[in-house]
Amino acid sequence: MTQLTHTDPGGTPNRSLVHEDWDALTFKVHRSAYRSPAVFQKEMSRIWGHTWLYLGHETEIPNPGDFKSRTLGGRPLIFCRDSSGKVQVFFNACTHRGTILCRHSEGNTKFFQCFYHAWAFSNSGELAALPGDEAYADVPGFKERHRLRSVPRVDSHEGFVFISFDPRVPDLLTHLGEAAHYMSLTAKIGPQGMQTVPGVQLYSVKGNWKLAVENAMDGYHFAPTHNTFVGYLRETGFAVTDDDQYAYDLGDGHGLLILTGHNGRIGMVWEPRFGEAEKERTAAKRQEMEERLGKELATEVADASRILFVFPNLLLFDLEALTIRQIEPVEAGRTDVRAWQFVETGEPDEVRALRIKTMVSFVGPGGLATPDDIEAYEAVQRGIEATAGSADPAYDWSDMSRGMANEKQGNQGRSIDEGAMRSFWRQWSRRVEGAPALDTALDTALDTAPGA
Amino acid sequence: MGRRTVTRAEAEDFLYREALLLDEWRLDEWLTLFEEGGRMEVTTTDWNGWDSSSAGAFMCDDYGLLKARVKRLKSRKAHAENPHSRTHRMISNVIILEQGDETAWVAANFIIHRYRDNQEFTYVGRYEHVLLVDDEGLRFRLRRSIPTMETMAPGARLSFIL
Repeated sequence: MTQLTHTDPGGTPNRSLVHEDWDALTFKVHRSAYRSPAVFQKEMSRIWGHTWLYLGHETEIPNPGDFKSRTLGGRPLIFCRDSSGKVQVFFNACTHRGTILCRHSEGNTKFFQCFYHAWAFSNSGELAALPGDEAYADVPGFKERHRLRSVPRVDSHEGFVFISFDPRVPDLLTHLGEAAHYMSLTAKIGPQGMQTVPGVQLYSVKGNWKLAVENAMDGYHFAPTHNTFVGYLRETGFAVTDDDQYAYDLGDGHGLLILTGHNGRIGMVWEPRFGEAEKERTAAKRQEMEERLGKELATEVADASRILFVFPNLLLFDLEALTIRQIEPVEAGRTDVRAWQFVETGEPDEVRALRIKTMVSFVGPGGLATPDDIEAYEAVQRGIEATAGSADPAYDWSDMSRGMANEKQGNQGRSIDEGAMRSFWRQWSRRVEGAPALDTALDTALDTAPGA
Repeated sequence: MGRRTVTRAEAEDFLYREALLLDEWRLDEWLTLFEEGGRMEVTTTDWNGWDSSSAGAFMCDDYGLLKARVKRLKSRKAHAENPHSRTHRMISNVIILEQGDETAWVAANFIIHRYRDNQEFTYVGRYEHVLLVDDEGLRFRLRRSIPTMETMAPGARLSFIL
């Protein structure tokens, strides 16, 4: 391995923070990747500035005029459905002086009016009215030039809405690649479709965003970190196993764990804690799925649990029930997290209740498992200060080589190995350390923007 | 069980004693403050009065989960709470909102300071509990915490009882 000085390998462009050696079967990540504000700024520019980002789900704004305000990649946005029913995504800044236009987190409106000088924009972005417009030359032209700014690209797949701040990214489906198929599987669970519900978990962790990604793609931690949760499942009559759990590299940094027999799946794979009534309903629902989707597809949708990571900010947990988790990096050591329960539209009330109770008891900052994951991210973030600038620079690397020998033999990686994390880091390195794919004014703006 | 009137002083004693048990991590004793079949909820910060069975929540424990949570928190393997956080609870503004034949609906404000890893976290919110009233005292039928914060602050996870 190249000897590096501890100072900041990230500051020296030819020295990668990701070291992969297939002869020695080692894969190492330099810990400054989690610590360094300079690396963080580069990520915001090279990743968040130039790729599709998950914004939200169409069912969060079901009716014309519905809106949510949401910050993504550090930029305040308005996510709304205009009066004609079209999904719109605007920068949440008045085109006049840049004031936050919409100061509510959610609601329904035909117009967004800036309180500062009372400029009013329709929910499709037209500057509809401004007081005293006779003082401007060419009022129609002025109004057209000052319509609300839309993000350059908006597209959706199965109701999942993505945006890009760079207009020249490839099509959304090209970006999603194989990940699109797994999103489609999840979307097929409910005969009347799937939707988000209110009750969004908003929280923030004192850890780098990449630790949250690694943790979700890391089956190795499950047994030791979630010892108490596994114990709880055992007491309810369900033995969790790590057998038949595999990790898949979906390309472009997207990753997938497929977990068979890991846990029950409400309506699809029964386990005792779901109760007897649910046992009968599960049989009926499997029948319904086979009739609707065919046996093969129904089996693929229903039998296995999946944790899907869509690079860089979406985690889709399709386990006992479903959670959509969005990660929003704030600084090197802080990540905001938003999580929605994702449910079957039109399901019976008692199933909805079971679904929410079950999912919240596992996934989320008040569950019986996620707090220990958060403890892990935060303990890593604190721990990696220990080796920063240590006398032996070799100390300041984290190891992710588990399962490389198996992978080299061409075997499918197990979820309890670290292959999915390695795929993520390779994409990270291509994005952050490779030549900028699109060197533009936007890069320069992002790179030099105060606080970017 | 005949109807009897619950005074604010009785409700305050109940809530203060609960806070003491939680601050001292006496979780088995704390669990006895619930009736068999009692529930606990912590709403999300966008809560708008909806029923916990139709919307997401931070915690939504039935009695079985409540017992599992206590068992977990007593384990050395509950990593998020090993070592335990130090908590310091202040409860005020106690009001008996309504009283029925069997139950009283009690509201209070809380501020909980939590200390761990040389960091401090403050949780501010309101309780809206449904308490079973009988001759032996008060017990939780539904223990509901409603955070006032707009979001959980960085590091402010809900690994303990809010």
